[in-house]
Amino acid sequence: MKNTVIKTERLCKYFGTGAQQQQVLKDLDIEIYQDDFTVIMGSSGAGKSTLLYALSGMDQPTSGQIHFFDTEIEQMDNDKLAIFRREHCGFVFQQMFLLDNMSILDNILAAGLLTGKDKRAIVTYAKELLGKVGLTEKIWRKFPAQLSGGENQRAAIVRALVNRPQVVFADEPTGALNSASGRAVLDVLTEVHQSGQSIIMVTHDLVSARRGNRILYIRDGVIGGVCELGKYVSGDRQRHDKLLSFLAEMGW
Amino acid sequence: MYKLWMHARANIKKTKSVSATLVVMFLIAALLLNVGLLVAIRYGSFFGQLKEELAPADAYFALPQAVYTQQVQDYISQNEHVKKVQTNEALALGAEITQKGKKRSYTVLLQNMDEKREISKWKYVGEHRPATEMSVYVPDIFKAVGGYQLGDKMTLHYTDQTTGEKRQLTFTVQGYTEDIFFSSTDTGMMGFYLPQETYRQVADILQGPSYRMHLVHTRLDEVKSASAVEAGIRQTLGLDSSSLMAGDSDAMLIALDIELIELSRCMMATMIAAMMVLFALIIVVVCLLVVRFRIVNSIEDDLMKIGSLKAIGYTGRQIRLSLLIQYLLIAGLGSLLGIGASYGLLPSISMIFEQQSGLKWEQGFDVGISASALLVLLAVVVLVVVLATRRVNHLSPIRALRGESTVHKYRHNMLPLERAHGPLSVTLAGKSILQNIKQNIMVVMIMIAVTFAGAYGIIMYYNTAIDTKAFAEVPGMEITNVIAALNAKEDQSSTVAAIKDMEHVRLVQYLDEVKLEVDGTQVSSYVMGDYAGKQTRLVYEGRYPQKDGEIVLAGILADRIGKGVGDLVAVRWGDSEETFRVTGLSNGSSMGGLNTSIRTADMRRLNADFKPQILYIYLDTGTDSASFIERLNDTFDSQTLLSVTNFDKGLAEGMASYQNIVAAMGLAMLIITLAVVTLVLYFMISSSVIRQKRDLGVQKAIGFTTFQLMNQLSLTYVAPVAVGAAAGSLLGALYTNPMMSVAMRGVGIMKAGFLVDPLWVVAFGLGTVVFSYLLSLLTTWRIRKISAYALVTE
Repeated sequence: MKNTVIKTERLCKYFGTGAQQQQVLKDLDIEIYQDDFTVIMGSSGAGKSTLLYALSGMDQPTSGQIHFFDTEIEQMDNDKLAIFRREHCGFVFQQMFLLDNMSILDNILAAGLLTGKDKRAIVTYAKELLGKVGLTEKIWRKFPAQLSGGENQRAAIVRALVNRPQVVFADEPTGALNSASGRAVLDVLTEVHQSGQSIIMVTHDLVSARRGNRILYIRDGVIGGVCELGKYVSGDRQRHDKLLSFLAEMGW
Repeated sequence: MYKLWMHARANIKKTKSVSATLVVMFLIAALLLNVGLLVAIRYGSFFGQLKEELAPADAYFALPQAVYTQQVQDYISQNEHVKKVQTNEALALGAEITQKGKKRSYTVLLQNMDEKREISKWKYVGEHRPATEMSVYVPDIFKAVGGYQLGDKMTLHYTDQTTGEKRQLTFTVQGYTEDIFFSSTDTGMMGFYLPQETYRQVADILQGPSYRMHLVHTRLDEVKSASAVEAGIRQTLGLDSSSLMAGDSDAMLIALDIELIELSRCMMATMIAAMMVLFALIIVVVCLLVVRFRIVNSIEDDLMKIGSLKAIGYTGRQIRLSLLIQYLLIAGLGSLLGIGASYGLLPSISMIFEQQSGLKWEQGFDVGISASALLVLLAVVVLVVVLATRRVNHLSPIRALRGESTVHKYRHNMLPLERAHGPLSVTLAGKSILQNIKQNIMVVMIMIAVTFAGAYGIIMYYNTAIDTKAFAEVPGMEITNVIAALNAKEDQSSTVAAIKDMEHVRLVQYLDEVKLEVDGTQVSSYVMGDYAGKQTRLVYEGRYPQKDGEIVLAGILADRIGKGVGDLVAVRWGDSEETFRVTGLSNGSSMGGLNTSIRTADMRRLNADFKPQILYIYLDTGTDSASFIERLNDTFDSQTLLSVTNFDKGLAEGMASYQNIVAAMGLAMLIITLAVVTLVLYFMISSSVIRQKRDLGVQKAIGFTTFQLMNQLSLTYVAPVAVGAAAGSLLGALYTNPMMSVAMRGVGIMKAGFLVDPLWVVAFGLGTVVFSYLLSLLTTWRIRKISAYALVTE
């Protein structure tokens, strides 16, 4: 029996007003489980990023409820959500969004030191994570503009992990990378997941989706289907075929 | 060209609030610059025009009936320096006039308005009504300050010189006048003009001979000859030992020349104009620094746009031209509004000057000065834009489109978080400060400039509104409470002792003022037995006389005769001459800075008959001078006590207009300083929030709260503000007096000693920093609107 990390009830999200109003999420009831690498897929405009940011407290739903463990986050004001995010969530964005004026290590520590926990422990952990994702000390000292996209994205993953979040939210983490860099980033995410980290990732890329163990397909604001893939094993053909057939069924 | 114009307009529309802030800053700069230039250039020439119109005498001599002898008349008319003489009869009356509920003392000179005048004419100011019974035409200052309207009754309360009874004369104000000599309290007497019939009527009432005065207006070969003529009159009359301040009004000679009048009446305007121009220049420099900052930032922000414009064929020159048009439009609009507003402000400034000078300055639109102010501002904007946009020429379209300008902008990781101590927001603010050092140096410079002006303003305000001691010392008078003129013909030692023993008397000492000649220059000289007792120390270099043959020269006199401390000067009184050694230089505008200080013993060497008669009476703090004077008059008869002056009251009345002006000016500078700080900070922080929108969004996404970000950004600006405010306040505290010494040198203040209360200056500096911090928090409040979600979805 899996533990539920996030559960939504009748989650709705509208954009615009009046005649221009558009419902992006329609009465969604979903559950995300602990230790899962959940992948949200869907066509463009289906509402996958909207769902991701609603689940993470980055955006507030129009109606419905979001339970993050025992906390209802949809009622929180912006500052409470900010504190909630720093303590429970990690984010990896397609555009990395590292702060240009800080070195890679400082980018990570800026997030880590926010929690007010022991500084030495945070620094040690940040360096350990950087080492794990293959970023050497020489690279930590550099600024984002001096690194490749892949290196920046790996740094962004470390930033997402530094506060030991309950869930890491990744929005198209390989979208801005070439295939080699993308693969390296996915390897990191897979390794992180396999070490017990819950991850929710939005992607429209099959190669990326294959890394997840549970696929939610969203279509026109509702869950079109769910596919349980099981643990990722490199080169597992059967798993790959299962995903392809699921996506074909969903009309991908 | 039209396309460039369209780009410029579009840019202004896109950055409305930033452009509006710049417009306001240019408005303030142009307003101050135009007003400063108008006052500096036109007020002086206005006095010149007035002189041409009213043909004032080079000097006038006011002689009471008793001393207007045939001998004196002959001396004046036959004097080699005198080219033309016009004598007018007048009635001099010491009276109290109620102004806005308060009684003020004046020496009023009632004159026959129908008497013909070729020199020292007068004119009406504004509307006037025809004369009726007991009509009076009064100096315009009574309207400006006293609030007297046409048709109002004006009562002169006076003490009859023969009977000692309290009496009054009531007139109807039928018009306002202006003349060169008698329109301001600063120059002694206020000239009232009465129709012939009324004049005769009043002359019948004021029967005593001491009311009768003859005003001898003279044209001289040169104005400086006035003192020689005055000395001659004194000699003719045998007013040998009479002090200039003697209480015997029957024998009191008053002489004033046009240069002293001009100095007195234009002094305040000159000082204020200098302050305004200086302040305007500071504000202009601040505006230009902000414009430069804005341009450099906008090039960074619009890099892609510049790249796309270059890609479709615009040249660097065209892009720079569109930026130039954009800032010229902003500067032009702000400057025109400022120049327009300055003409709206001029009547108020003129009114302030009028309170002191009595001159009604009406300045119309001055194309030359206003166009110059506008052109100067626009020319400097052109220069700043041309210099700040140089890099546009070197930007390649591809690099610009890729936004490559910002690549490798950061080279050194300042304040690494791993090693930094303290709260995260403070450390991040510190990083930002160090990384934007050029911008922060600019903020520091701006703050130094404006807080320097603000500290100057606050020091001036303190000295005119809180502790006025130093300000009261400007004229160079000994500050006391009561002055009594004793009858020098009798031995007054018992009188002096009796006064000294009166209740609440702290100190009494003689301090007379006589006329002397020092190295050929006519001067007034203070005479005192022992300068150790002097309560108002005005010597700024050297010391007061202590031994025989020592003299202190006023700074202006020392400059004029080219003497300094240690030099010898020849001092002449009548036919006797002695050599004195200069022991010190003093401040003070008395006699236009032509004054000296010598000891009584030395005066007696020059004039063996000299007897001190002016007794300065110093009362315990808090003692009411008026009641003390009543007690004095009750105790001593008029044969002993020739006259008593309420110095406290005179000082308060005399200083009031100056204090009001300087306090208003100081306060205005303070307010403008805060307004400029507000505009600059608002401008810079707004720009910063816009520029850092992405980073702020990222920080919000990873868990920074709005307040943390507000605090972080505010601290980024408050640190340079604090450095600038500290330096500016310190410079203000250190350099206000040297600056005032330069500004007031012309009026005899060679070394200004205005009080600089460290507490006030520190409070001002701290206040500026706290104000800036709160303002920053308020301005950064808009960060709450930045959404982390919008960042990732945009």
